[in-house]
Amino acid sequence: MKVAIVSSFVPFVGGGARNIVDWLAAELEKRGHEVVKVLLPFSDEPRFLFQQIAAFRTIDLTDSADIAICIRPPAYFIKHPRKVVWFIHHLRTYYDLWESEFRLTRDTAITRARRDSLRRADTAALGEATRIFVNSVVVGERLKKYNDIESTVLYPPLPTDYRGSSNDAGDTITYISRLDLTKRQHLLIDALALTTSDVRLVLAGKAADASYSTFLREHAENLGVEHRVTIDDRWVSDDEKADLIASSFAVAYLPVDEDSYGYPTLEAARVQRPVLTAVDSGGVLELVSDGLNGRVVEPTPQALAAAMDDLFFDRDNSARMGVALSQSVSDLDISWDTVIEGLLS
Amino acid sequence: MKVVVANNMAPFLWGGAEELAVNLVDRIQRRGHEAELLRIPFRWNPVEDLPAQMVAMRSLELENTDRLIALKFPAYYLRHEHKTVWLLHQFRQAYDLYDAGMSELPGSVFGDEIRETIARADAQSFDDSRNIFTNSPTTSDRLWHYNEFASEVLRPPLNDPEHFTGGRSEGYIFAGGRVNGAKRQNLLVEALAHASNKVKLVIAGPPESPADRELLEQTIERLGMQGRVTLDLRFLSRAEVGDYVNHAMACAYIPFDEDSLGYVAMEAAEAGKAIITTTDSGGVRGMVEVGNNGWIVDPTPEALGEAMSAASQSGALAKKMGKSSRELWRGMNVTWDYTLDRLLS
Repeated sequence: MKVAIVSSFVPFVGGGARNIVDWLAAELEKRGHEVVKVLLPFSDEPRFLFQQIAAFRTIDLTDSADIAICIRPPAYFIKHPRKVVWFIHHLRTYYDLWESEFRLTRDTAITRARRDSLRRADTAALGEATRIFVNSVVVGERLKKYNDIESTVLYPPLPTDYRGSSNDAGDTITYISRLDLTKRQHLLIDALALTTSDVRLVLAGKAADASYSTFLREHAENLGVEHRVTIDDRWVSDDEKADLIASSFAVAYLPVDEDSYGYPTLEAARVQRPVLTAVDSGGVLELVSDGLNGRVVEPTPQALAAAMDDLFFDRDNSARMGVALSQSVSDLDISWDTVIEGLLS
Repeated sequence: MKVVVANNMAPFLWGGAEELAVNLVDRIQRRGHEAELLRIPFRWNPVEDLPAQMVAMRSLELENTDRLIALKFPAYYLRHEHKTVWLLHQFRQAYDLYDAGMSELPGSVFGDEIRETIARADAQSFDDSRNIFTNSPTTSDRLWHYNEFASEVLRPPLNDPEHFTGGRSEGYIFAGGRVNGAKRQNLLVEALAHASNKVKLVIAGPPESPADRELLEQTIERLGMQGRVTLDLRFLSRAEVGDYVNHAMACAYIPFDEDSLGYVAMEAAEAGKAIITTTDSGGVRGMVEVGNNGWIVDPTPEALGEAMSAASQSGALAKKMGKSSRELWRGMNVTWDYTLDRLLS
């Protein structure tokens, strides 16, 4: 089948939304499909919102592809009679983040009108789709709440050729993700200062804004824990990731109300390490349950420090929860076979 | 520096321009910059959709990008404060193909309006570009003739000169490239009947249709040239093409009225081989100085037969002319080093 995968991107910025496109393309090709990736730039700047959406709308793939799979907004504005949407998030500032501190603009009559117009346009464009899938229960609920649209969950897997690692668990907790305020690496440094064990931290990943990694370093020094934390502001390759994670006894992942369980969670499951997360981390909780395959605690330094010490002192239990996490991934049927069967059904 | 290379895309189709764009990105990266390829779907049919697609290009927002290099209509309509156009071609149906009666644009008031719109938008886009380069004198001439913009010719270099290092002659004349009517390999077989008995010919490349293969086979049989022609009609790897060129006595390339110098001729010169071409081969003639590094003869079996005889007559002569070929080609400075110097200037 000729499959077009349509998405948006910001030049020179990598991450989950790009990975999902590349990995899906590779898995489709493995199964004998012809794939073309249609990736158009998209800027968050509110003034350019509708003109960019209009540009996406001019793309008509009717004659060239048998099916168009749309991923990141506003990809689903393109035209195709068999438009399938794998919805990974809204333009959140106009949706669930509108009432939060993360809203990009001030709340004025104009920005509200923009928000409401976008919501109507989204609902209409999504209404054209023949199938709508989401990457998590959380996102499915948002789609229902804001656009009154039903959807089916298709959990995004890691690429199948992702290599594991046989490294032994050491004394570190590793957090590999974009260094970012919303990922809350700083909270772990706060917690580290309150731990009673000799637990060490590795925080690795490219910072979108270099001032955050500078802040993290200064913060660690101020709290006197700089010798127990490694802050590595750079892009980490998949192979290196596997080794880093396997060398630690647990993985931390604490995003604010994340859209999905997040790739770091799957990466931990691949090498059977438990995940430390927070009660407000959103989609992560679809996979991680407290005491079963990781720890889910309040996003406070005290609660995190206690959980870090527990994980450190009871290694047998940590190892057991790591194995349980990998079992949870199988139980949720997170696989490319499931995804592709769903998208092309 | 972050450089975006923008090109059009006809989904699921791949050709010379796509190959060039991929190579350009690769070369920019090798120079130590970040580079990304942006491929924007474009279809010129139905004509009514053209204006919307043109506006769409103006509506996209390219952030986090220091330089834009745009290659084709309408990709060069993208807005960027540092835009360089390396024009492979404009929308020829609105210009020279229209004048030649070969355009699918309607010859109505509506068609005229579209052509005027394109001309105006082209002017605006070229006007807001920092530099305009083209791939050939023909493209530059058209740009001057129709839009009155001056441009600098920057011929696309070989993508993989490393395969064409030259080598000892094994005595055959090589005719490479796509096999079809316009490239006239059949005429070379006919010419062989007029050449001295010692001339051998190797034709290698993918036939465009089964008929192209049959024609060659029939001609060889009709003229009894089985012992003197080797056919290798398939898609060859670049290394295989390099092998054929490197061990040839001389190379023949006789396309009808080609715009560019022709990759086949450029490869011959890179490998240090004399070149045989015809008076009506267009841009390819620019690769040959008669008597110095090759032959430019009438497109007749007799004249070509004579040239092939002369090329095969003496190993010493072929070697001397081959050396001149390489010197002439080096003097043209069509290299990625120079190309990037200019494009990124």
